[in-house]
Amino acid sequence: MATAAIAESSAAPHGEHTHYTTTGLENRKIAMWTLIGSECMIFASLISTYLVYKGRSKVGPWPHDWGCKTSAIVGKTAAAVQAAGCAAADVMKPVLDIPITSQSTFVLLMSSLAMVLALEGVENHGKPGYDRWYKGSRFWLAMTALMGAAFLGYQAYEFTSFVHEGLTIRTNLFGSSFFTLTGFHGTHVAVGVLWLVSLLAIDMKRGLKGATDVLLVDIAALYWHFVDVVWIAIFTLIYLIQ
Amino acid sequence: MNRTPTLRLGPTLMLVGAMLALAACSTQTYPNSTFTSHTDLNADINAVWNRVFVLGMAVFVIVELLLFYVIVRYRGKPGAPMPKQVHGNHTIEMIWTASPILILIPIIVPTVKTTFKTQAPAAAGSLQVEVYGHQWWWEFRYPELGIVTANELYIPTGKTVNFTLQTRDVVHSFWTPRLAGKRDLITNKVNHMWYTPDPALAEDVFNGFCAEYCGTSHANMRFRVYTVSQQDFDSWARHQKTEAIGSPALAAARVAADSAARRAPARASVIPAAAPAPVEDAGYVFPAGKMGAHTVPKTPMPASVKFDDALLAQGDAARGRTLITTPANLGKAGCLTCHVIKGEQAYVNDDVARGPNLTHVASRHTIAGGIYPLDPSHLAHWIKNAQVMKPGTSMNTFGLGEYSPLLKGKVTVGLTDAEIADVVAYLLTLK
Amino acid sequence: MASSAAPAPAFAAAPAATGQSGLWSWLTTVDHKRIGMLYLWTSLAFLFVGGTEAFILRLQLAHPNGQVVSAEVYNQLFTMHGTTMIFLVVMPLSAAFFNFLIPLQIGARDVAFPRLNAFSYWVYLFGGIFITLPVFFNVAPDAGWFGYAPLTTNQFSPGIHIDFWVLGLQILGVSSLAAAVNFITTIIHMRAPGMSMARMPMFTWMSFVVQFMLVLAFPAITIALFFLQFDRFFGTQFYELAAGADPLLWQHLFWIFGHPEVYILVLPTFGLVSEITPTFSEKPLFGYNVMVFSGILIGFLGFGVWAHHMFAVGMGATADTIFGIGTMLIGIPTGIKIFNWIATMWGGNLRFTVAMKFAIAFVALFLIGGVSGVMHASPPTDLQQTDTYFIVAHFHYVLFGGSVMGIMGGIYHYFPKMTGRFLSEKLGNWHFWMFFIGMNLTFFPMHFSGMLGMPRRVYTYDAGQGWDTFNLISTIGVVFQGIGLFVFAYNFLKSWKGEKNAPGDPWSAGTLEWSIPSPPPEYNFAQLPIVTSRYPLWDIKHPERTAELRHSDPDTAVVAEAHGVPMLEQTETRTAKALGIPMPFPTIKPLFAALFMVMLFASLIFLHTASLQVAVVSMIGTTLLFIGAVYSWLTSPLE
Repeated sequence: MATAAIAESSAAPHGEHTHYTTTGLENRKIAMWTLIGSECMIFASLISTYLVYKGRSKVGPWPHDWGCKTSAIVGKTAAAVQAAGCAAADVMKPVLDIPITSQSTFVLLMSSLAMVLALEGVENHGKPGYDRWYKGSRFWLAMTALMGAAFLGYQAYEFTSFVHEGLTIRTNLFGSSFFTLTGFHGTHVAVGVLWLVSLLAIDMKRGLKGATDVLLVDIAALYWHFVDVVWIAIFTLIYLIQ
Repeated sequence: MNRTPTLRLGPTLMLVGAMLALAACSTQTYPNSTFTSHTDLNADINAVWNRVFVLGMAVFVIVELLLFYVIVRYRGKPGAPMPKQVHGNHTIEMIWTASPILILIPIIVPTVKTTFKTQAPAAAGSLQVEVYGHQWWWEFRYPELGIVTANELYIPTGKTVNFTLQTRDVVHSFWTPRLAGKRDLITNKVNHMWYTPDPALAEDVFNGFCAEYCGTSHANMRFRVYTVSQQDFDSWARHQKTEAIGSPALAAARVAADSAARRAPARASVIPAAAPAPVEDAGYVFPAGKMGAHTVPKTPMPASVKFDDALLAQGDAARGRTLITTPANLGKAGCLTCHVIKGEQAYVNDDVARGPNLTHVASRHTIAGGIYPLDPSHLAHWIKNAQVMKPGTSMNTFGLGEYSPLLKGKVTVGLTDAEIADVVAYLLTLK
Repeated sequence: MASSAAPAPAFAAAPAATGQSGLWSWLTTVDHKRIGMLYLWTSLAFLFVGGTEAFILRLQLAHPNGQVVSAEVYNQLFTMHGTTMIFLVVMPLSAAFFNFLIPLQIGARDVAFPRLNAFSYWVYLFGGIFITLPVFFNVAPDAGWFGYAPLTTNQFSPGIHIDFWVLGLQILGVSSLAAAVNFITTIIHMRAPGMSMARMPMFTWMSFVVQFMLVLAFPAITIALFFLQFDRFFGTQFYELAAGADPLLWQHLFWIFGHPEVYILVLPTFGLVSEITPTFSEKPLFGYNVMVFSGILIGFLGFGVWAHHMFAVGMGATADTIFGIGTMLIGIPTGIKIFNWIATMWGGNLRFTVAMKFAIAFVALFLIGGVSGVMHASPPTDLQQTDTYFIVAHFHYVLFGGSVMGIMGGIYHYFPKMTGRFLSEKLGNWHFWMFFIGMNLTFFPMHFSGMLGMPRRVYTYDAGQGWDTFNLISTIGVVFQGIGLFVFAYNFLKSWKGEKNAPGDPWSAGTLEWSIPSPPPEYNFAQLPIVTSRYPLWDIKHPERTAELRHSDPDTAVVAEAHGVPMLEQTETRTAKALGIPMPFPTIKPLFAALFMVMLFASLIFLHTASLQVAVVSMIGTTLLFIGAVYSWLTSPLE
């Protein structure tokens, strides 16, 4: 949807009043804001589901606690689980790895900074004295996409290691709600990366200049920051709060 | 615009409609009316209803009259001058913003009070009843009394009953319109509802329904509630606790005696509660004669299930018992793989049984989730092809050669009609 | 007709003015008016499907222990009746008016994203066909339009019945969301100079509120459906009982969507009625500001009362009370609206056209639904009413007496604007009275059968329960409605081909859409008019009627000066080409994008009917086709 709405690429009103809109803004920007409103509800539903189902799973692995493969024993430490009668070989680690995810969170946050710099560069195209800014925009755009891709790499690593620890989307309520939530977010990041890459492709081909191109980058940035903000909510609510 | 056809068409059609509506106001009785006060809960609900209804009707009548007045009074006249162009009036708008609040307050106050009162925990010493929903029948348990029964609920008048509501599969809703409102049975959740049947309530029977759509036979998930005196309830409970047959060793003799006694009245349409029972104390059973017409099921029997009722007279309870209790027969007469008959060989327990507990099935008045009366003929048809008798039921088709919608083919390992008659004879001994 | 002064050239305006005709032009159109008509035709076709379903349901219930259809078929039919009427009839009927009217009412030449608009329609059409077709093969969804988990999981609903429902609703959600984004942008952005928010016609205002509700409510059901879809196809556990799932998760997510949905269905009608009543009362709308605010308030409160559908689930007394009181509060803005409509008519010079009759009937019938609504807003009484025929009566008074009657009024009112032809008032009278009496005969007795103990969604009921007469009358009522529907269909088809006799302003209305010829030329407004008040057309034709309104607007004056021309009654009907107005190119690409997207969703069915390989191959194939269609759409110029 996002791309369809965005890319009505010359959706200015027709006729001699081509540049007239009621608010003076561009259609696509309003459409993007509307879509972000809708996306907020999407992620609110996903996050609430995760929170509602927190602690309702019948079998491990658990997000923050140690568990046991053969029984419903749960404990704060491996020792506690063993003391409760779980064989050492059956002990399950807590799944969430906060240090690793903190790194990926940092990367994603930094990508927002890169996005800001990229937009700043494109916006200042042609202004005297801003030549270096403009030239930097391609670099920052690439950096944003790269960091987004790195975040996806982290996520792929995280998912793989979770599966090795016995947590799949089918294992328990935690697995289902966790993978669905973070998977939805990851898909959004992936769409964002593709979007940035296609902007880069346009830039390579003919350069991003002029008001229309600023808008293209502006809307992409809006989306990117939103995806970033959502991750902060997810990281706080799902990873940090136990 | 030609207004003439309007004047004629409208009133004429309205008149036709009104006549049809009047036809509804016959002197019919309404045996499932919610406007009753047989329990404290329904009395509370109706108190709120009365308030809401009166105020609602007042609003309805006043506003519709106002609308009608406006239509008549201001109907356009040809050549009329342009009406006064009024865009609004703050005072009037304030009044009709505030007035709904004045109507809502007298509704909100009793609503809040009653909501909290009726949802408070039940008083200590209440009779505990556990209700389990199944697709598509009701299981009732009296945990303090050790009774497990189905589709027919006995409660003593004058005593608070505390229902604990759970489901074994999808969401259902427990509803006896004349006694109380609904409460849903939600998977992985325990719900409660309590009420006290009026002590003055006579020996009576009430229809109950599943009120939440729960799949194919949702409409066929009914039950009965019997309100009886404490004394009768105790008698009923004392007997229901027992094993219907007793130990297998005792059973043969008892069954033989019982089936001899039964052979004569086997074609009776309803098991007469007063029939002489060979069991020590048959216990109280709600008298068949007091089942109101609305509580006796009248579901027509599907024409495709054919069973010669004459065979029922030859049914032999002992043979029937051997048939269903011999492990080698489980393939063709696997009753006990889904049903519990206390005292017989158990393959399942009540917690995982897919069908009703049959220990005292012959003391009930209905079968199949309350949609057929319990009599030999219906029972035989039911066993022969339950799949056709009740769409979607998990009860298999047992009649040999019958078409089973579940198997999508004919039953090749099953019971002959004579064998079914034997099983029926046996089941009817389970009083 | 007071509008005899309307300029004659309006008669000459034909679709020919758009230079387009034939099937291809309809498949490729991006004109909001033609898309609106596509919505209208399609949803009326689905109205016949949904109506036929209802008729069979009522035949089955006419007598106790009815044998017309089997339990399985009945369950499919009642599920599809609800799903069809909500998602394929009333919502798209509203969408027909959004499409046709919003740009005309705000003085725009099209919507903000014309091709996205076409895409929305095609997704709706293909999604509608996708979810309707299984009815004819006995594999239609059968778990109710509300699809309560866990009944919808593989465990209790094996087979592909529910798959169609889950995927179908997802598809239709995409359509609604795309349309909502489009209309929000259109209304915020494309109003003519001087058309401030405080001057927007009431229909546009109510539609504006509805678009926000769509954008914010649909995500909840989208996610709930994703969970179900994942459960059914990929083995997740969201609604798996054994895993400890909570069925209330579905109920909450569903009703967080489902209750706003009720207002999504009825607010557009509020808007239409607010256009019709002033016109035929020859008076302006009473209390414009309050009407706007009450609409917004209904939208707001509509999001906070979802759990009143769940009083029986055992949420606890506190939650019950809060949701109960919240629900009753909605009665206040709704009541204000009803009083304001009556006040609009008060002192007027009422012209009882068919449109006006439908509008008045709407007020009378919606009130009944509103009053019974308060009756089950109270949790204790609701426990006797919920899931009975009383509720069926209630929401049919709201959705049939309300939405459908109002929309029918809208069709009679706007048909001349859409087609340049009048619908027959004589046949319209028959239609109206058949509907009015039929719906009352059908639904009023349900109040009684419900309170007298009849549960909903039952394919059969036993004799002697005290419900026989009520049910028979309900069934007879449906016959009346059916006759009304056929009269309407005849009227509609006949008039569509009939003589072009409608001037630009046939009813002497005051809003912008009546200032242009009927049907409007493809570009709508040859020049963007400067809007001078809420009733710009009255400003020039009957200035005395708007004398009390503020005509100066310092904020927009500058803009108006720069971009608009003084308000006038447009007689221009030449083509856009002749006038040099650039119009978007017609394109087939949105249709293909929609088709491939629907095929992509439909491919999931193969997981249950064919093999994993088939499913994966067809999903990858349709995804590539979809991406190709979207890419080619995005890279082709708009105009």
